Amino acid sequence: MSADSTQPGPLGQGDRYREFARLGRGGLDDRLSFRLILRLLVRCIPLLKPVAKSLAWMITCMVVLALLVALPGINIVNIFWNGILDGQVLSDVQARMILLDPAVYASGETLTPDERKVVLRALVSTVGVLTLIIAPLFIGVGYWRVWILQQVNQHLRLLMMDRLQSLSLRFHSEQRVGDSIYRMFQDSSMVTLLIHVLLLNPLENIARFTFSLALVVLFDPRLALLLLLAWPPLLFIGYRIARPLRVGFRRAREANSALTSRIQETLAGMKVIKAYGAEAYEQKQFEQASLDAFEAAYAARNRFVSYKIVVFWCVGLCLMLGVGVATGLTTQGASLFGERFMIAMGFAALNTGIWDLGFYNNFKDRFGDGARSSHRLMDLWGSVQDVATGLDRTFELLDLEPEIVDAPDARPLAHFRESVRYRGVSFQYERERKVLEDVDFEVAAGQVVAIVGPTGSGKTTLMSLLLRLYDPDDGSIEIDGQDIRGMTLASLRENISIALQENILFGTTVRENIRYAVSNASDEAVRDAARVACADDFITQLPQGYDTLLGERGTKLSTGQRQRISIARAILKDAPILILDEPTASLDAATEQAVLRNLTSWGKGRAIFLITHRLSTIRRADLVAVVRAGRLLEYGVHAELMTRQGGEYRRLVEAEEEPLATLATGGGS
Amino acid sequence: MRERLDESERFGSADAIRLIGRALRYIGPFRFEFSVKLAMLIGSFIPMLFLPWPTRILIDQVIMGIPFGEELTPFPFFIQPFVDLGQGLSTTELLAWTIGAQFALLVLIGAFGVDFRERDRADARGVPEGWDTATRTENEANSGFSLIGGLLGLIDYRWTMRLTQKLNHYYRTRLFDRIQSLPMTSLDDERIGDAVYRVMYDTTVITSTCYKITLTPIASPAIIMMTVWVMGMVYGWQSPIVWAGLGFIGVAFIPTLPLAGLHRRYGARSRRAGATTTSSMEEAMSNVLAVQSLGGEGRERKRFGADSEDSFRQFRLRILVEIVTFFLAAIAGAFIVIEVLYYICDGIIDGRLSLGDFAVLLSFFITIAAASVDLGAIWIRLQNEATGLNRVFFLMDAASEHDVDGAFELPPLSDSLVVDHVHFAYEADTPTLEDVSFEAHLGQVIAFAGPAGAGKTTLAYLIPRFIEPQSGQVRIDGHDIADVSLTSLRSQIAFVFQETVLFDASIEENIKLGNRAASETDIRRAARIAGAHEFIEALPDGYRTRLGRAGGKLSAGQKQRLSIARALVRNAPILILDEPTSALDPDTERQLVASLREASRTRIVIVIAHRLSTIRGADEIFFLDEGRIVERGSHAELMRQANGAYRSYVELQTRGVA
Repeated sequence: MSADSTQPGPLGQGDRYREFARLGRGGLDDRLSFRLILRLLVRCIPLLKPVAKSLAWMITCMVVLALLVALPGINIVNIFWNGILDGQVLSDVQARMILLDPAVYASGETLTPDERKVVLRALVSTVGVLTLIIAPLFIGVGYWRVWILQQVNQHLRLLMMDRLQSLSLRFHSEQRVGDSIYRMFQDSSMVTLLIHVLLLNPLENIARFTFSLALVVLFDPRLALLLLLAWPPLLFIGYRIARPLRVGFRRAREANSALTSRIQETLAGMKVIKAYGAEAYEQKQFEQASLDAFEAAYAARNRFVSYKIVVFWCVGLCLMLGVGVATGLTTQGASLFGERFMIAMGFAALNTGIWDLGFYNNFKDRFGDGARSSHRLMDLWGSVQDVATGLDRTFELLDLEPEIVDAPDARPLAHFRESVRYRGVSFQYERERKVLEDVDFEVAAGQVVAIVGPTGSGKTTLMSLLLRLYDPDDGSIEIDGQDIRGMTLASLRENISIALQENILFGTTVRENIRYAVSNASDEAVRDAARVACADDFITQLPQGYDTLLGERGTKLSTGQRQRISIARAILKDAPILILDEPTASLDAATEQAVLRNLTSWGKGRAIFLITHRLSTIRRADLVAVVRAGRLLEYGVHAELMTRQGGEYRRLVEAEEEPLATLATGGGS
Repeated sequence: MRERLDESERFGSADAIRLIGRALRYIGPFRFEFSVKLAMLIGSFIPMLFLPWPTRILIDQVIMGIPFGEELTPFPFFIQPFVDLGQGLSTTELLAWTIGAQFALLVLIGAFGVDFRERDRADARGVPEGWDTATRTENEANSGFSLIGGLLGLIDYRWTMRLTQKLNHYYRTRLFDRIQSLPMTSLDDERIGDAVYRVMYDTTVITSTCYKITLTPIASPAIIMMTVWVMGMVYGWQSPIVWAGLGFIGVAFIPTLPLAGLHRRYGARSRRAGATTTSSMEEAMSNVLAVQSLGGEGRERKRFGADSEDSFRQFRLRILVEIVTFFLAAIAGAFIVIEVLYYICDGIIDGRLSLGDFAVLLSFFITIAAASVDLGAIWIRLQNEATGLNRVFFLMDAASEHDVDGAFELPPLSDSLVVDHVHFAYEADTPTLEDVSFEAHLGQVIAFAGPAGAGKTTLAYLIPRFIEPQSGQVRIDGHDIADVSLTSLRSQIAFVFQETVLFDASIEENIKLGNRAASETDIRRAARIAGAHEFIEALPDGYRTRLGRAGGKLSAGQKQRLSIARALVRNAPILILDEPTSALDPDTERQLVASLREASRTRIVIVIAHRLSTIRGADEIFFLDEGRIVERGSHAELMRQANGAYRSYVELQTRGVA
């Protein structure tokens, strides 16, 4: 969308993400104006495209239905007041409309009481039948409308989901989960009001207002002027209130989003909270967040409701005066301004175009409608402030450009065959915090390389770069001689399979967890992968076997078991490059040996990266890469590295072996 | 996806009544506020009794020119003073007077006539909302309402909104507190999104239930009685209108009765689908590392898309059920309205009533009918609430951690920790721990070893009472921990979990979670022992570095060290470390083990580990297999047992080296 701006480097992008997260935490009050609101609303129009056809039909139906109700409406009111209540004869049209004989009911001077009663019953039956026909149509159109609006919302939610998924981890480590949920749920729902605030309601009310105004002119142009006089104060109030309303709604949204985050974060960390008895502290934090949310909502709504009350004062005053003047005119029996027109339209009985009770009530209806339309337009203006605030928060997210995207000329990586090569790779998460510096090495297909080094030396980051979870600041990574930034992301990641250090499982069955990366894998394939990862045994012993539901943080499984499921998941993917990040840290020795044995025989022809501290694991590798403080210190085969006097690797191994050497004193072999 | 903490979707009317009765008990603390609201609700109706008369005067006296005193029906006594003033005024003067009175009404109550265009109500209608249950509930959580507008309406509205918020805040915090006290094992199996949904969106139903149950049954009859009273004063006992109006109780109640079950079903489905959608969003965001690494974006999108689509569909169906219910009731009501229309019109045609009376009588009828509808519809309108109540109370009722009656404070550990013949099972017929017993004394380091899934973590969980044994006891200094207060028990324990949990706060705050009272020096000392000080200092903001979500900026080993620092700063007499060194490099590990040894002089340190280097220094090692302690003793003792389980376990691990 905005690829026009100067391409920010990855770090600049990180700053933008931080800025975004900061804004989401209440760093922004309001930045909209009438022009920007309009632009925002117009930007949403493409979202309507998928439902454009249904929408057009639906709106047509609504208009037709509204006209079906409005047109006979005038006559119904006139028949009621003039005919039934006042005993005047009906017009020809009116009599026909309620299926009465015009010869009887539209002629003579007045209606007899019995005739009036007949007219009443005829009118009621006509209206009743019309209602029975029209009401189900209204229900049908109403339901249809809900469906269409929901489709629009669904579409937007998916767009946001896609955007969130494609933003890099740089973004996600700054962003609160609750805020994303709130934006996707609450803020995005504002798009359903788009059609109403942008199209239907303004059009309907402007049309009603114009129609009412035109009719009021026919009654008396001075009264029409009165209707227009309400507008200058209304516009002034609307202009002054817009910003305070937006500020209020923005704060309310942010406070509620913060509350959502607070709940989510507390629940995610509940284990530790319990263990450290921090429940009371968390409870206090939660209560404060909840109070903040209510306080913000209170302020926003208080403004909104006060605004509406003041608007009604203006509108009501205008309406009151209008009716007062009309009352005076009726008392005098003044003639209508559009006398002849009224008669020609068949609205007036007895061909008298003067202010009588029927016209008085008709005037009240029309003038009231005009006033009400003004009222509703102003209410709408108030609502628009909230809609715009919500949509603004939606677009803030959609406007974040993912830093890692397919290059315009990206080509798919067919199938990894030869080698993975790191060329002078440097990387930092934040300024002044180099995580990797000038890393250079090559791994060929069929090789197992162990990456070792102290905690925090950059081993995991090295692998994240291969997956393009981040892009290096300097240097490049090549697969089969081609820079991975020139490949499509999907094809790159398809070629890589990873078992993460933190064994993330999803809240679904064991089976679904294993086939997470390959959703169409057969049950047999799932079991085979589980066997390689030595997981089949314990899975089949679970009460529901492979169909056992796991909690995200489920305690049903021990960490070692979770680890094996995540290894099985990586195996099932069957990709030519396999990354195992501390695959066996939580496994006992026996299981570890079995898993590694299975892996090496399974892994033939693949490039396997093993990140590990365990010597027993390292020894199964063809090559060892020793990383320290972001630099690749040593790279070679185990035996060769062991010969280096004072070498880092040798030191590491000796540190590990030293306690084992004392085993003999324990009476070992 | 099915929710783990599940409740039945179909529940009968009896259950609904039980739930509603239970919600009512929550009014207690807010009796005063409720009474004020009730008084305002009834009080705000009084000015509305004035509304019809200016309109009638405009039609009868001003337009039709009927002099005061000659109208077919009298004015009520409270209008009489105005009538007396108006006596003898010219038409124009009377017109001005009436409009003046209307203006006063407009300012005060935001209404000056009986027509709907001439009335306003103070409420937040127009605050936008979307098309599923969750987005609607946010408005409900802050809802205020009033029968009137204007200045008085604003006061009423603000009071009501405050009351709503107070109630919602109260229930929300209660539920949240409740969730926090759920046992850890059941919390772990619950989906976070579901709990978020319950706290944020389901609790509001308690408030709306309270309103519907307390306000309507008192306010509606009061409104009906006042209306009938005024009408009687003017028109005599208009029994057809009164009965027709009251008939709407039946209209709102009888045709909707068979649909109550349907309302509950779709209400429940809509809420559940919303909760599932929240969960899929939450999981996709929380696990974004896994999703992106494993290429699960498409899958997450599909899952979220399907869940979201379902939540929309269920809400749509709920709306449809509501519309159809309304339609059925409206048809029944239409017959009554027609009869009333005939009655009033015939009265006018026969000359018993004036034209101005039409509007007045009709407005009386509408008032009575509307209040009757409120009364009759209480039941059907409570159905959606009942579905929310069901979800809220389900969680409230879930077994929670609690102290036994007469629980006492556990005195500081002075001697021993004893686990005595403990049995434990997560699932009924697969025991996790069987007849486990051991003892540890102050100054000791003990270790649990054994294959994955042997029950080591479960055994450790027993000590802080994260779980309670089915039989057997855990005693500290001879006190059964089941009898002591949880707070005092856990204050003596520092637990380092296998999977590190960090919060999106500064490093300092994360460590401080272990001990709120810790000074800066304490924090630094703990960080040094855990081997975290150096890397923390190397960060641009040092201890004040904000970790970001799930500590995404740190490596697993660094995070592990932070959580060890957190445990150390607690300075508790019992220190439990579950695989503290799995992600540590050997250097850091050696350092840590040495400092643990040091710490154990005044403590009991319990270590669970696979790494030999971590466990071999323990005073006593308990080797677990399939939920039993199969061997115990020091490293040397255990290694002496030929064919011993521990020995073969160790040998397997060292074979690579030897």
